[in-house]
Amino acid sequence: MSAVAAGPELPPDVDRQLDGLPPTELAVSVLTYNNAATVPAVMSAVRGGLEKHFTGTPAVLINADAGSADATVDRLAESGLPFVRARHEAPAAQLGAVPFHGVPGRGAALRLAVAVARRLGVRALLVLEADVTSVTGEWLERLLRPVLEHGADLVMPVHARHRYDGTITNLVLAPLVGALFGRRLHQPLSGPRALSARLVERLTAAPRWPASGRSMVDLWIAGSTAADGLSVHEARLGRWHVESSTRTADLPTMVAQTLGAVFAVMEEYEDLWMATANWLPVPAEGPALLPADEPAQIDVERMVGAFTRGLRDLGTIWEHVLAPDTLGDVLSLEADDLERFRFPDDLWARVVYDFALGHHWSVVYRDHLLRSLVPLYLGRTAAYVLATRQRDAAAAESALAAVADAFEREKPYLVDRWR
Amino acid sequence: MKNGARDWYKDAVFYEVHVKAFRDANGDGTGDFAGLTESLDYIQELGVDCLWILPMYPSPLRDDGYDISDFYGIHPSYGTVEDFQKFLDAAHARDLRVITDLVMNHTSDQHPWFQASRSSPASPYADYYVWSASDRRFADARIIFVDTEKSNWTLDPLRREYYWHRFFSHQPDLNYDSPAVRREMLDVMRFWLDRGLDGFRCDAVPYLVEREGTSCENLPETHAILKEFRAVIDQEYGGDRILLAEANQWPEDVRPYFGDGDEFHMSFHFPLMPRLYLGLRLEDTRPITDIFTHTPPIPPACQWGLFLRNHDELTLEMVTNEERAFMYYAYAHDPGMKLNLGIRRRLAPLLDGDRRRVELLNSLLLTLPGSPIIYYGDEIGMGDNVYLGDRHGVRTPMQWSRDRNAGFSSVEPGQLYLPVIADPVYGYEAVNVAAQARQPSSLLNTMRRLLAARRTSSVFGRGSIEFLRPRNSKVLAYLRRHGRQTLLIVANLSAAPQPVELDLAAFAGATPIEMLGATAFPTIRTAPYFLSLGPHGFYWFRLEQPGDGDEPFGIERSPI
Repeated sequence: MSAVAAGPELPPDVDRQLDGLPPTELAVSVLTYNNAATVPAVMSAVRGGLEKHFTGTPAVLINADAGSADATVDRLAESGLPFVRARHEAPAAQLGAVPFHGVPGRGAALRLAVAVARRLGVRALLVLEADVTSVTGEWLERLLRPVLEHGADLVMPVHARHRYDGTITNLVLAPLVGALFGRRLHQPLSGPRALSARLVERLTAAPRWPASGRSMVDLWIAGSTAADGLSVHEARLGRWHVESSTRTADLPTMVAQTLGAVFAVMEEYEDLWMATANWLPVPAEGPALLPADEPAQIDVERMVGAFTRGLRDLGTIWEHVLAPDTLGDVLSLEADDLERFRFPDDLWARVVYDFALGHHWSVVYRDHLLRSLVPLYLGRTAAYVLATRQRDAAAAESALAAVADAFEREKPYLVDRWR
Repeated sequence: MKNGARDWYKDAVFYEVHVKAFRDANGDGTGDFAGLTESLDYIQELGVDCLWILPMYPSPLRDDGYDISDFYGIHPSYGTVEDFQKFLDAAHARDLRVITDLVMNHTSDQHPWFQASRSSPASPYADYYVWSASDRRFADARIIFVDTEKSNWTLDPLRREYYWHRFFSHQPDLNYDSPAVRREMLDVMRFWLDRGLDGFRCDAVPYLVEREGTSCENLPETHAILKEFRAVIDQEYGGDRILLAEANQWPEDVRPYFGDGDEFHMSFHFPLMPRLYLGLRLEDTRPITDIFTHTPPIPPACQWGLFLRNHDELTLEMVTNEERAFMYYAYAHDPGMKLNLGIRRRLAPLLDGDRRRVELLNSLLLTLPGSPIIYYGDEIGMGDNVYLGDRHGVRTPMQWSRDRNAGFSSVEPGQLYLPVIADPVYGYEAVNVAAQARQPSSLLNTMRRLLAARRTSSVFGRGSIEFLRPRNSKVLAYLRRHGRQTLLIVANLSAAPQPVELDLAAFAGATPIEMLGATAFPTIRTAPYFLSLGPHGFYWFRLEQPGDGDEPFGIERSPI
């Protein structure tokens, strides 16, 4: 294998692999980095799904690997599917400290997969994560069917999760991305997705892919799809279970990386979100999901404690980031009394937008800025738990919808200050 | 109080401040408690935990307040007892504790006790001080202020006897052999503790008792008295009021002041301080590591007080003659900078205003075992004025802004208790709080970040220390451990970039998390761990084992 350059042309060794392949309709892409332990389960689901739901439809497996030191690629090659493999470029820093999505250089990997899919002329490209072992054959059906039969260009996943899982996504990423792009996606940074041939074609022709290393590519694809007026769907999948020893498990790092990715896309691709003022519904495929709702041990007191420590320790950074009114409102939150502690949705939206603006104008070192949001996120999450822990699942969903409403309502605040 | 533990002082960072120097609220040219109260937000935002107030009592001010003429009052220039009470309550409302200086060994010769004592041997106060018909007693006691005093005895013309004084002749020593004196001093302590004070920094404690044929320092009788005081305070005030000893002695001589955890809670580590400067100038870790080999263990409830600078000269009593000569060569090139056995300069000018060295020494201060003490103004890199005489040059007005009198006072500049620093490099127009507060990369904001990072781990205040021995002797590396947590501190004492290989095999599998930027470094393997450091650079790492981390919030399982 050889490293794949970031240009539109495929490297020669990949080109050679394509020469011998039969015509194909589906491409399944698995992006990997040291996933030998989990790819057999993923490939078992792929084979099962193809056999059950796409019998007779020719498919190819595309693997972009960041330089696995284990038998990841060998395990994939044993799948029995026609196999295209390549090694993609990955920033050294991400090889040392693997980002939240588990694939160093995920942008380069996706670009490679898209380029191969276009060359093969497939009708749909499915992207799967190599360490998500809860994948089933049904996932293939629910992600691909909307592309193949319902005109979808991008199908994003919705996972069945406990109400207090995915708090970064639910309280920050999803409402922010929804307000930016005009589509309320439940899990905008989750890895599984399906792309239509039309979207693959457009992405291949796109003049400006995001630089690898800032984990922007998934958001850029979603934003581009929405901005181009293409059809975005969601597929309700099952449980989402990751078995990874490499993905970062550090909460502040995850906040910094994921939010940093959104802010970077905002910075680099203003055209994708600045003018968006219409919020379109996202059709969802698949049976309604019942979220896991077993009792959870959430230490709200410690979260509020982290928030109040932030008030004390990070005031000097927040003074530079938050607008005076916003800072004043944050300082006024009644953190001394758990029963009275609330974090209003509009205030939260302004906090996140102020951080986006602070990132945009580089008011402080950006990594410090992103990490200094963590105590605020913990405070907002604590407020969400306090508001919903005695209520049913519908009320929890309704609380999240209110957060999304607030982000959309406050978007002019962001746009007005961006330029 | 957020930290309501009885041993709160083990986690605390202290901030030493002179009332007269901080802020003048009543416009008389001298700082006061009302001004200090107005400044509490600044102190809170700096991120310290406890203020140490220099002497605030009525005094003729012949030794800057260490000559107390009334233990129960506030010097009129600083306000009233009511002003003090308001200040103390306001500090507590901000979770800031307060300790004050208490001069136990002596009073001013203007104190009514001394005036009564000298009036007649029949006075009820006659034995409150140490009197003698001869000036030959206690001949083995050294003279401390060699620049000004020729004897420890001075003849009082009224009583026609000699009185004993270990410091200036206007500071007669109290006679702690007198039960009445001991009762009086306990009552003094009760008076302030009843108001909510969190403790005392006890001045000059080795000299309380005199005995013939001894050096009259560190005597068992002195320790017995101090233990008696401690027991009473613990019993009457619940055990969270502290006593901090000023005993400028070698660590093995200071050790008895901790007793079995039943004497002082804290004591300054005097010999460490000059060795930090030595190590930095020599670009060699040995002066620092050596002093720790000579530092005995202390009881678990006790704590060292660490400092880089304070209101006195940078004392060089606790170094060898050779080291002292080098320190003078390195840090006091102008003879006017020397005073007694020390150097009367502030931190920033001692280090030629080199920001990297200032940060490095502060990093060591905050990460070595003990509770750090920051001297007011050093957090913004204030300068000094050696031409003001005595130690006044390091006690100039706090530089708040580039306004008139550095924002310290509204009076005519000539009315200030001391002139503000106005030179081009360290003057208030260049170095002030207002400017640095606005600048994210300022020394002030860097100090705030360092202090914030220190607060994230109790290991700094409570952990053991173990020096690593890399081959590169310009790089100081040490482990701090407490419970399951381990911190790794690495500091480059050199002005040039340095590589270092550390034997961290015992931590194989752990990930060093740099604490100031929360950045994960490559995982430790059994092979030597390589780091490179920029000039005077430093790292604070938390070694995170797989599965480690803080207690979970409960949302970490799948937060994205």
